[in-house]
Amino acid sequence: MLDSLAIFTFPLLLLGGSAIAAQSAINGALSLKTDLVTTAWLANVIAAIVLFFLVIFFEPPQTETMFTVPIWQLSGALFGCFSMAAIVVAVPKIGTAATIVAIITGQIVMGLLVDHFGWFGNPQILLGGKRLAAVGLLAAALYFIYLSNTRKIKS
Amino acid sequence: MKQLAMLIFVVMGGMALALEAAILGPLGERIGKLSASLSIFLIGILVFSIAMVIQRRSYILKLAKLPPWLLSGGLVGFAYTIVLVVATPLVGVGATMVGILCGQITASLAIDHFGILGTKKRKVDSYRIIALGLILAALGLIY
Repeated sequence: MLDSLAIFTFPLLLLGGSAIAAQSAINGALSLKTDLVTTAWLANVIAAIVLFFLVIFFEPPQTETMFTVPIWQLSGALFGCFSMAAIVVAVPKIGTAATIVAIITGQIVMGLLVDHFGWFGNPQILLGGKRLAAVGLLAAALYFIYLSNTRKIKS
Repeated sequence: MKQLAMLIFVVMGGMALALEAAILGPLGERIGKLSASLSIFLIGILVFSIAMVIQRRSYILKLAKLPPWLLSGGLVGFAYTIVLVVATPLVGVGATMVGILCGQITASLAIDHFGILGTKKRKVDSYRIIALGLILAALGLIY
């Protein structure tokens, strides 16, 4: 399925993914110099500032705002806060690779659950062998990274 | 054992991230994609501001004294958002996700290996190479 466009875009995608890894590492390091709360606070502040300008310049006028929707629709932010806290706490303890792989595993597991039960109005896709096997592989990958992190250094 | 507990904790974080995305989608339809993202971070500021008050301690003043690269975590992540917006229409969601995941994994292995960005040096060993192979196999199965 590789066409010329994909080959051109791929380095761009690698860069985008690298940005995520870099952000996790940087925030983990910052939490060691400050604490979790300050780090997460700053990350949200910076992101909010950038998005504020993006909204002002690029978002077309809307009929609804965050203040007119039912409150449950804003609950995503709380999950986001939890996720950010987990990453910031984990990176200094288990390293960036372990954190990234664990996050990806969690995302895929949840994706499987959402599809299987058809939550959020998604079409019901029952758990299939392929995706279950993928989760199994990811769990195995996590185990190997755990082994790597905990191996005794030979002197 | 602490490593294991932390890993499980982060997996839960990943699940929360996916949940957030699932809730964010419909919200974006209603109030606009950019506004929806902004609302996430505004609420995040609220949450952690409250946390600062509750724990009666904050390191905001210390931030000004730290080297600038430590404060760039929020900005670096925007490269991701922009890439996502640009690439998805070009090559589709599946290819975009694979590319981004590959970038995440190789970059994180490199960051650990060289111990840059303030992380502890964790060199690529045979365990990690096996893990990489397993991940690529998993990605191949999914996409």
